[in-house]
Amino acid sequence: MFSFVVKRLAVAVPTLLLLIVISFLLMHAAPGGPFTQERALPPQVLANLEAKYGLDQPLWRQLATYVWGIVAHFDFGPSFIYKDRTVNEIIAQGFPVTLTYGSVSFVVAVIVGVTLGVAAAIRHNSWLDYLAVGISIGAQVLPNFVMAPLLLLTFTWWLGWLPGGGWEDGQWQYMVMPVIALSTSYMASIARLTRASMLEVLTSNHIRTARAKGLPERHVILRHALKPALLPVLSYLGPAFVAMITGSVVVDFFFSTGGIGRAFVDSALNRDYAVMLGITILVGALTILFNLVVDILYGWIDPKIRY
Amino acid sequence: MAIDASAMGRLAEGEVKGRSLWADARRRFFRNKAAVAGVVTLLLITLLALFGDALAQWSNEEIDFAVMGQAAQLGQPSIANGHYFGTDDLGRDLYSRTLQGTRISLMVGIVGSLIAVIVGTLYGAVSGYVGGRTDQIMMRIVDILLAVPFMFVVILLLVMFGRSLFMLFFGIGLMSWLNMARIVRGQTLSLKHKEYVEAAQATGVPTFTIILRHIVPNLVGIVAVYATLLVPEMILIESFISFLGLGVQEPLTSLGALISEGARTIYYGTTWQLLWPLAFFIATLFSFFFVGDGLRDALDPKDR
Amino acid sequence: MAMLDIRNLSVRFDTPDGTVTAVNGVSLSLDRGETLGIVGESGSGKSQLAFAVMGLLAKNGRATGSVAFDGREILNAPPAVINPIRAQKIAMVFQDPMTSLNPYMRVSDQMAEVLVHHKGMSKAQALAECVRMLDAVKIPDAAGRVRLFPHEFSGGMRQRVMIAMSLLCRPELLIADEPTTALDVTVQAQIMTLLGDLRRDFGMATILITHDLGVVAGFCERVIVLYGGQIMEQSPTDPLFATPAHPYTRGLLGAIPRVDQEGEELSAIPGSPPNMTRPPKGCPFAPRCAHAGEDCLDHLDPLTEFAPGRFRACNRSLEELA
Repeated sequence: MFSFVVKRLAVAVPTLLLLIVISFLLMHAAPGGPFTQERALPPQVLANLEAKYGLDQPLWRQLATYVWGIVAHFDFGPSFIYKDRTVNEIIAQGFPVTLTYGSVSFVVAVIVGVTLGVAAAIRHNSWLDYLAVGISIGAQVLPNFVMAPLLLLTFTWWLGWLPGGGWEDGQWQYMVMPVIALSTSYMASIARLTRASMLEVLTSNHIRTARAKGLPERHVILRHALKPALLPVLSYLGPAFVAMITGSVVVDFFFSTGGIGRAFVDSALNRDYAVMLGITILVGALTILFNLVVDILYGWIDPKIRY
Repeated sequence: MAIDASAMGRLAEGEVKGRSLWADARRRFFRNKAAVAGVVTLLLITLLALFGDALAQWSNEEIDFAVMGQAAQLGQPSIANGHYFGTDDLGRDLYSRTLQGTRISLMVGIVGSLIAVIVGTLYGAVSGYVGGRTDQIMMRIVDILLAVPFMFVVILLLVMFGRSLFMLFFGIGLMSWLNMARIVRGQTLSLKHKEYVEAAQATGVPTFTIILRHIVPNLVGIVAVYATLLVPEMILIESFISFLGLGVQEPLTSLGALISEGARTIYYGTTWQLLWPLAFFIATLFSFFFVGDGLRDALDPKDR
Repeated sequence: MAMLDIRNLSVRFDTPDGTVTAVNGVSLSLDRGETLGIVGESGSGKSQLAFAVMGLLAKNGRATGSVAFDGREILNAPPAVINPIRAQKIAMVFQDPMTSLNPYMRVSDQMAEVLVHHKGMSKAQALAECVRMLDAVKIPDAAGRVRLFPHEFSGGMRQRVMIAMSLLCRPELLIADEPTTALDVTVQAQIMTLLGDLRRDFGMATILITHDLGVVAGFCERVIVLYGGQIMEQSPTDPLFATPAHPYTRGLLGAIPRVDQEGEELSAIPGSPPNMTRPPKGCPFAPRCAHAGEDCLDHLDPLTEFAPGRFRACNRSLEELA
């Protein structure tokens, strides 16, 4: 098991480096530099600006400096638009917010989704099953940028139960709607996946053996069926996580929570490539880390993978 | 025991009539009411998207100056002024715009899905069939690319290189083929060990011919299912991009763009601006989901 | 009183193609310590018979009739009734040990849970007993191997693990469904020898389900021949092989290739098993039988005893078959 983890880690690190390099090159491949938008700057000013940000150095030098900055100091460099702020500062402002409601949404999606899926599978073809499938499909066709305003309309405007926006350091009233808006469609996908997978596992031979041993049905489901049934769900969690982080843009927009999703879009519209790059790399690193955890969990459940 | 001719005749009567696998699947599919409903709905929507313009009284660009600026009061759906679905804030006919949005969204979904299918299937089939080192490397590449937060990359691309329809397709295409490649590779791996492939190899059939003639046809089922389920995903992705303001440019519009516009204005009471495109959006997605599910259940003979 | 008494058991399945009748009115009984073989082709219903007894039919399966164990009715019994019986009174060994053992659990865990659950043992006690049982089925270095996963065992060893697992609670009846079909011939012989030893040591009754007559010959005291969901012949083993009394049995025995006789064509029973969505009114074997008459398609005489302990279901008399 240990060597399995080590091997996976060994792949993760170069992947991350590759990600940084690719993103960096992508940024420099864009037509026009970060300073050539609005007004045409006199060549002297342009040259000074470029020197200040180190853009006059040969490309490989810039790349090396950049990578070293991240790896050694965790420093993503200065923002190109906001003169006196670094990328780190901008990210640090929004990241904890996104991480908080993102994690909560993720946990909610998984727990509710799996429970719903297992319940539907056990009571196959009952009203519970049809209800669960119906809700799942319904939730999947409502993207979060439709859910968010609908939620606001219902809970803030009409019922007045919840505040319409803001973060206030993460008090629960400000988290309810963001979490619902963000988690719903993934919860639905997880429920459908779990249900389909559980249905399949329940027809397998080793479940028949478990029942032949006279074990109570609850034990059979939880101890024998659940782990293998979760395998396809695990594979889905990686992409789901990334999608949720991306979807946080919507949350930031409608609920004014001020996370990094908003920062990314703003920097995109302002062409602040340094910030865009920083966030992309950060999210990429998170994704790689997350996939690593998923891979390890996969190996823990399925012993054949470990060897 | 000698074999008796009349006995054989009797035996033939009692035998179960053979049925090809495709006929089996077709039967199962058409027995699935939801799937059939999905097909019918999609047909209706496509017909409307392609020919519905004939019924429109306003084009999708014209601004109705009588309504402009007063959409909340005067822009409701009505037969009288020819705005069947009402108008948007600028006074443009929502019926025409919805139809156009449907056209664009369907196109994005189907083209994106097609790219995923073609690139992903070939890549996955080759990787899975050739196996060994090549397979490892090819799948490593897929894994690495999957780790990249693609939405961010697509946004990056759109911002840097401009919001053209081409860039939109390019970005979405980039994202979509990876999972298809993975699935196809997995399927190819299990197909590779089937006896008929071994037989083909033993008789000296060249590798690429085997891939084309034995592997690919057996992939059709699973590819069809995932391609159908991929279309709604593509539409969702495009609508998200439109929501961010990075999607198709005016005067072109997509269902995603219409919905995000409509979502922003419901406070003013112009609910039709959200509801009509949303209705088409939901109907389209639901239909694709049901058809995809129906295909999966039809082609996979496990009792669901 | 017989330990296991099955009366008029029928098993039907609801399928999109109609109702399939897998078992069609089978009656048999088994005494303590007896060894019974159930022989039939694929599709003859022999496995479904066993599943019905254990209550393990698929969701779309329906069983009718009566199955009494120690005088108690257990057919279609609710979990509260059937679960205590499973593993403790009646245990089952399945055909394919690779898929029948849980690949995601260690062998120790899968085995120990039976004892922990049924006998209330602690984990440690259960584990010790499992190791003892693995020794009894001749797994080398049982103590060292018990914590491995199923895929780390070879095919034959996996089947031994299954057998060990089934005997943990010392059941009174062991049903073995094609225990050697998935194994190669040399391993088959070992497993059958093992089953014989275990029967001697533990004294449980055994029902051996198989399509392989050779396996039955060396192991069972009594044999039932099943075709189209019905019993064709029932007899002690040796007389069955010596003087088969049913056209189907004769066909089966005649179809066994003889290594010691040269130059003969393989003889097969013409035709294929019946379509069980329309169970035949008369004898299920009639379409393929060289001795069949018009009456055979219409009705089948019930199972009758023609010699002590020997039964046959055939419209033609023994003399007519000679």
